[in-house]
Amino acid sequence: MKKIIAGVLAAVLWFAVVISYTVIAMRADGDEDGHEFTVLAVKEETVKDYNTMPVFKALAKETNRDVYWTYNTSAQYTNSPDPVGTNGIDAIYHAGFSNLQLYNYGKSGRIVAIDQYLNYMPNFAEILEKRPDIAEALKSPDGHIYSLPRVEEMGLKAYPNILFVNKAWIKKLIDGNNLPAEVSLTEADLTDGLKLTRNQFKAILQKFNDLDMDGDGSTVNEVPLSFVSNNWQGNESDLVASFGVPENAQHKTVLNGEITFTVESENWFNAVKELNEWCSKKLIRSTAFTQTQDEFLAKGQDGRYGAFYWWEKETVVAKSLQGDYIMMQPLVDDATGKQYVGVSNELEVEKGACVILNACKDKAGLLSYFDKFFEPEYSAQLNYGSIESGAFEKRKEGEKLIPNDDHGAQSADDFRMKNAPYGVVYLTQEVWGNDVEMESRAKLRLERLEAYVKPYTYEGATPIPNLNYTKEELDTLNRYENSLGKNITMWFTNKVTGAAPTISEWKSFLKTNATSIEQVKKVNQAAYDRYVAATQNKENR
Amino acid sequence: MRKNSVAEALPAAPLSENDLLVEQAYEAMTNGEPQADNGGIKNNKPVSKWDKWKENFKRRGWVLAFILPALIYVLIFCYAPMYGILIAFQEYIPGNPIIGSGTEWIGFDNFSTFFSNPNFWDYFTNTFLLCFFGFIVGFPLPILVALLLNSLRKPKVKKGLQILYYAPHFISLVVMVGMLKLIFGSDGLLDQLSIKLGGDVNGLQLFLKPEAFRPLFIFSGNWQDFGWSAIIYLAALSGVDPALHEAAKVDGASRFRRIFSVDLPAIAPTIVMLMILSVGNLMSCGYEKVLLMDPNGILSTSEILSTYVYRFGLGGGNYGLGTAAGLFNSVINVALLVIANFTSKKLANQSMW
Repeated sequence: MKKIIAGVLAAVLWFAVVISYTVIAMRADGDEDGHEFTVLAVKEETVKDYNTMPVFKALAKETNRDVYWTYNTSAQYTNSPDPVGTNGIDAIYHAGFSNLQLYNYGKSGRIVAIDQYLNYMPNFAEILEKRPDIAEALKSPDGHIYSLPRVEEMGLKAYPNILFVNKAWIKKLIDGNNLPAEVSLTEADLTDGLKLTRNQFKAILQKFNDLDMDGDGSTVNEVPLSFVSNNWQGNESDLVASFGVPENAQHKTVLNGEITFTVESENWFNAVKELNEWCSKKLIRSTAFTQTQDEFLAKGQDGRYGAFYWWEKETVVAKSLQGDYIMMQPLVDDATGKQYVGVSNELEVEKGACVILNACKDKAGLLSYFDKFFEPEYSAQLNYGSIESGAFEKRKEGEKLIPNDDHGAQSADDFRMKNAPYGVVYLTQEVWGNDVEMESRAKLRLERLEAYVKPYTYEGATPIPNLNYTKEELDTLNRYENSLGKNITMWFTNKVTGAAPTISEWKSFLKTNATSIEQVKKVNQAAYDRYVAATQNKENR
Repeated sequence: MRKNSVAEALPAAPLSENDLLVEQAYEAMTNGEPQADNGGIKNNKPVSKWDKWKENFKRRGWVLAFILPALIYVLIFCYAPMYGILIAFQEYIPGNPIIGSGTEWIGFDNFSTFFSNPNFWDYFTNTFLLCFFGFIVGFPLPILVALLLNSLRKPKVKKGLQILYYAPHFISLVVMVGMLKLIFGSDGLLDQLSIKLGGDVNGLQLFLKPEAFRPLFIFSGNWQDFGWSAIIYLAALSGVDPALHEAAKVDGASRFRRIFSVDLPAIAPTIVMLMILSVGNLMSCGYEKVLLMDPNGILSTSEILSTYVYRFGLGGGNYGLGTAAGLFNSVINVALLVIANFTSKKLANQSMW
């Protein structure tokens, strides 16, 4: 009996705790009442509270709007099937809506057609006027604009892969007279911009694999070539492209005005076949196809990569070892003597950075607040961190903002991750020249690209711009595109890491996916043609 | 008969026996009543079933209150959400009413989209094979384990082993897949071992091999759950009359013989019932573990119907399409359940309804 009473008491107590906790939690939530606007932002825990960031305080002061920020982490956010249904929210920042979502929510009237409020948004209106391509990109099939864009034009994203090679290891090969027969290099050649043919590179990688390069007595832990397959940057696309095909992570690109699937090119198949050999000769470890970005970065710190593809070497290798790595030019195709790189479809104009919900009572008021985000002074702070937090070097009134990359023990990247909210910004060539300076690491990367990568862009290849599709086209894409992308990744990974592929296997793979490829091409082509017509007409006017 | 019932093993059993006694007493009372009332005069109008039921309800109706919570639970969480199936026939946008003026009915369009997917048959066969092999391995295993545990002589050893066997059940799925990756994944234990032993520097890379997916999935799942699933059989076995074993021993039956002739027939009804249930669930593998094991979907064997629903339905915002695929899956499950029930009725004279 005593036991039962104790049990009941325990249960009651437990409930009491849960209920009181819930009440307290609800009360805490209630704090956001009384603010003029509440905006839901998708934010990681590590990023500072927007409500305390000086840039947002400055924005609130200047526009005289009272905005309260509340958060979801990206994991919570993607798991919530209907973010638009959230009560008490006026807008979603970092919404990241897809074309279909924008269209659907727009059509059902749950998000606001922003183009109706251009009177209250002088900056945005000016951008749309000045940049017909951005205006075109933002339009939904019904002609309305449902989201605010993020524009950060640095010319970096189209080339997300740079090949770096371990110069110290090559030097060891030279010193030890171990250089492969087909390669003749002296120590003086080992500088940025090293140019090798693919076969020479392969021979060197083979040495990296066979010999004990790091001198620890084992030949196992050296990784000759690494990358993160299927990632948006630092993937194997440019290695495939060296066979003479404008490859990128989505395997589709615009080639001389035509939407093209790289998988249909025989050069692509040749690349798969060759990569299979590289894999079976251990030049590429299969981990390249399963590892995550973090795993890749963690393994690279101690300098065990012979060569790797990545955005920049600075994040991959520990500071003390960075001198060991040099940047290579794109590999030379042995058969044609040419160098090729593809262009990625990562765009510098991103749709869906912010949407306004219909529940918002003063839409014009909130939009006039967001309109300020497009001004260079604010865009820069949103992108790099607030001036007060030390994100920029000290300046006199009217001078350019120069990002400060000295944050003591903290790396520039870490500082930015914590202090910059990102999201809706407008930073174009014009802004870079006059109001804001690029980060020095961005400038460095740009120099590297200009010197050794951009000149070798596959002729006629351009990224697929932000297209706007009709409802029917969206449905067609919806039906075919996702599974097609998955099928290609699956086939590629399977054939590179498994048994060597035959040409008939490739043909039957293409045949299985013929309808999907055809439909996706057709829809994209139609949308692309409209895009070209729309942007050219306006430019000519 | 009652020896075989699972409920017998639960602490509620004595109560039900009491209940039985009460019922008999009551039955005797009510049977006697009309005769007393009529004072020996024969009444042509017999007590109708309805009256009997009413009387019964008045007296003991409160007992029904016990099933109310379960009934309410089932109604709210199982039946009420079913109207969501209607989404399968709609062009659905979250926030729109499921039945209302804004609803866009599109008939079977979602289904035709789903069936015309070039990979539809791959998904279908993948689902079937994964679940089917899982069933083949996973169904007999707990029976075997229960029979073996039951025939152990020392209860302490039996208890210890039982706990050891069912403990993995409590490992969360994420941790479980994490363990799998640590052991079988790239740079995992097995790969390191094979490299150390002079094998391929790439290791075995089981997580990159489509043919390794099913065995990894099924065996890890069964390793986790065989002990847990054996509990229900053990409960059934504990109801076997020891006298039967004694008699068999006297007749000279070996331990093995006794398992076959005493234990197995005793739990046969439980086996059949659980078999019907698992056949009914044959096509419903969960997507969680599959997604955890192959997040990028690079294995040709890993895309199943439920991951399709998740990836393209929920992930791609195609709620109608996702619901249609899910409904298709459920219809198959119901069909399988009916077939299994029918077959067992014919063959073993055991059925759920």
